Formats: sequence, structure tokens, C-alpha cells
Amino acid sequence: MIGYLFLILLAVLIVWVVTTYNFFVSTKARIKAAVQEIGNQLKRQADLIPNLEASTKGYIKHEKGIFEDLTDARKAITGAVESGDVQKMADAANKISSLLPGIKVAVEDNPELKASEVVGKLMEELRDTADKIMYARRLVIDLTADYNVKRVSVPASLVANLFKFSELPGLITPEKGEHIEAKEEELKTPKVDL
Amino acid sequence: MINIYEAKAKNQQKSLVVVVFFFIFVGLCIYILGRAFAIYTGYEPGGLGFVGIALVISGMMSFTGYYFSDRIILTISGAREADRKKDFNFYTIAENLSLATGLPKPKLYLIEDSAPNAFATGRDPEHAVICATTGLIEKLNRTELEGVIAHEITHIRDYDTRLMSVVSVLVGVVALLGDWFLRVSFRGRRDKGEGNLGAIMIILGLLFAILSPLIAQLIQLAISRRREFMADAGSVEVTRQPDGLISALKKLAADYEPLEAANKATAHLYIINPFKEKGHGSVGIFANLFNTHPPLDERIKALEAMT
Repeated sequence: MIGYLFLILLAVLIVWVVTTYNFFVSTKARIKAAVQEIGNQLKRQADLIPNLEASTKGYIKHEKGIFEDLTDARKAITGAVESGDVQKMADAANKISSLLPGIKVAVEDNPELKASEVVGKLMEELRDTADKIMYARRLVIDLTADYNVKRVSVPASLVANLFKFSELPGLITPEKGEHIEAKEEELKTPKVDL
Repeated sequence: MINIYEAKAKNQQKSLVVVVFFFIFVGLCIYILGRAFAIYTGYEPGGLGFVGIALVISGMMSFTGYYFSDRIILTISGAREADRKKDFNFYTIAENLSLATGLPKPKLYLIEDSAPNAFATGRDPEHAVICATTGLIEKLNRTELEGVIAHEITHIRDYDTRLMSVVSVLVGVVALLGDWFLRVSFRGRRDKGEGNLGAIMIILGLLFAILSPLIAQLIQLAISRRREFMADAGSVEVTRQPDGLISALKKLAADYEPLEAANKATAHLYIINPFKEKGHGSVGIFANLFNTHPPLDERIKALEAMT
């Protein structure tokens, strides 16, 4: 009787170890896929930009600088996607998203451009791509959090230590710096003049 | 103020409690009715046979509904598949949110109806369908729509269609057993001399036969309401923008048009109760018991507490 009980307990333990082990390896694989998805989305964004350039170039002659920056950013993305480095991809993506407001202003300043359906559609597409990249990164962040939390919580940590699963970095964000500090003018309620 | 992780964990716990309570209750009903049947027929394993038959019948009634739940959409007249160009916001939002949750993109449909509403169904994420009304897409902006679609995606991610199907199979079992027991007990029993225990079992059996179908249904509705709260929290978890869903729910609350395509069987799938009778705003506790959805202002309050 006690022998059976022991066997059942052993079986339960083995099942638990196997499922926990599988959680770690499958989450790792999913994180890898999610990182590739970021690259995929960045590539999509990079492909979209020549269209935007082509349809706006005629109107925005004096904003030439923007286009040059965009081309640079595009090259950076293509390079980063090829290298497969998450951090490089994230940097390249930041470069593009910092340029988008400039384009937006340029479009708003040109009534003809604003009225153009093609440009309107492109701006919509750009917002959507920006969202897509944000959500692709969200998945990497969430999965890494799941993985890292489980890795250190009892009892799964026993399995993690047994098979030496190490902590994963996810998206690297510096823990110090401007993005976690608020400047004084940022703390004030924004005033909007209409 | 609670953060989203706590909100999610709390919702999961509460949902688990209700679901576990439901299963215990159903188990108890089946046990007592089974025993009472056995005493009536005078044949001990006979009760189990009745339970088995009830399970098979109830299972068959619900199985097609569950297995082909993604086809339900084809039965709604005037539903059409969403198109990336024509329904840019709806299509791309669903695409983005499935990206965020790591699920395959669900099939997207639109119903021509000015009542703003949406629902999700399908037996697993591979066969999931999200359906929105044209009214919803016209009345909400992109951020609000994102909140609503994220709510539906969470229903899919948490296998809510599967859970509710299992629950309704069991409610069916209890209802069938109760019904049969009442029928046989009118015929009078064959077996005599069971003693006190037999008498108690039969009284208990009668009591359960009368009350348990109603109670089981009430718990089913409670589970449905719990899952709505859970999907709301899940929506915030995905979008990190409670404001989107809050203002969407406020807009939906202000709209009193009932949805024509809805029926009682699918009501629990929608983002808000498609019938919109009195149970729309805040109502008494008693009326709330019979609703598939919690009152909107309670949901909004729960969302506002999240940061």
C-alpha cells in the first residue's frame, strides 16, 4: 500500500518536473520567435517608408533633411534585422519613431498634402506599424517577465536551478537615465493654445 | 489603486473559486440524485446509469454548439468578413493585439447593425472568431476599439468558450436528472424497507431535483459575470490603457438600442449584454443574479481602480 502511494507520488513529481521544464524551454523558444517578429515588423515599416517618400517628396522640398535621416534610419533597420541583434533593432526603431513627428508636422503644414488621400492612408499605415512594433515588443517583455518570474519563484526555481536556466534580458532598457526621470517642465499640466 | 498584475491575479482567484464551487455543487447534485435514483430502482449501480445517460444527452446537445462555435457567425444573416482596406481600424487592431498576445489572428466578421456590440467565440485560438457590429466601429475611436477588441482577445486566450460549454453541459446534466427524478417519484417507488437513510436520501433527492437546476444555472451566470471582469482586466493587461475601455463602455452604456442578431444562447459572449433591458445600469442585487454581464458601472469602477 505504502509502496503504491510512493509510486504515485513519484509519478506526480516526474510529471511536474517535466511540465515545468517544458514551460522554460517553450517560453524560451517563444521569446526567440517574438524577437524575430520585431525584426519582421521593423522590416515592414522600413518598406513602407519609400512609399511615403515618393508620395510626399514633390510637396516637401524644404524638408529635405528629414528624408535623408529617414533613409539613414531605414538602412540601419535593414542592417539590424540582418544581424538579428535585438538591441540594434530597437535602436533603429527608435530612430524612425523620433522622425515621424517631424514628417507629421510637414504634412500638416501642407494643405495639399493633407488633402491627399494617399498621404492620409500612409500616415494611418505608419501609426499602425508603430503600434505593431510596440505590441511585438510587448510580447517579448511579457514572455520574458513570465519566464523570469517563474525562474525565481518556489517551487519552479528548483527545476530552473537543476537545469541551469539563466535569467533572460528581454528588451534591454538602461535602468538609469532620462527615460525614468521627469524634468520639472514635464511635471506641469500641459497648456494647449488653440 | 491596484496594479494590473494584482488585478489579474485577483480576478483569476475569484473566477477559480466560483468555478471550483460550481464543480463541487454539480458533483454533490449528481451524487445525491444518483443515490436517490438507486433507492427508487432498488438497484445500487442503477443511479450511475442515469447520470451517464444524462451526461451523454447533455453532452450531445452542447457538443455541436461548442465544436462548431466558430460557424455560429454564418448563421447570423448579413455577417460579412472584415476587409483590411474597408475596415482598416478593426482589422489592424485585431492583427496588432494578436501579435501582442502571441495568438494567431482570429477570423474577423462584421454584422450590419447600428447597436454597438462585439463578441468572440471558437473552440480554441486556432478557430477563434471576433465579430463586431458596424455600429461599434462607427461609434468608437481607435483607442476605444482597441480596448473592446482586447477584451474579446482575452476571452479567446482564456478559452472562455470551452469553459462555458463544459459548464452548460453540466447544468444540462443536473437539469435532466432533476426532471427525471421528479417524474419517477410520481410513480411511487418499488423498493421498500430501506430504513431511515433511504427516506432521507429520497427527501434530499426531491429537494435537489427541484432546486438544483435553478441553483446550477445561477452559478453558471455568476461564472459568466466573473469571466467578464477577467476579460476587462485582461484587456488592460494587453493595451495598458484602461481609459480606452472605460470610455468605450461609457459610450456603450449611453446606447439603448438592443442587438437584433443576439439570442439567449450567445448572450454571454458579447462585450455588453445585447438585450439591454432594465439590467443595463445599476439594478438590485436580485436582478443582477440573472444577468450574464455585471452592471456596466461596476465594470467601469473596477477598471478605474486599475492603474
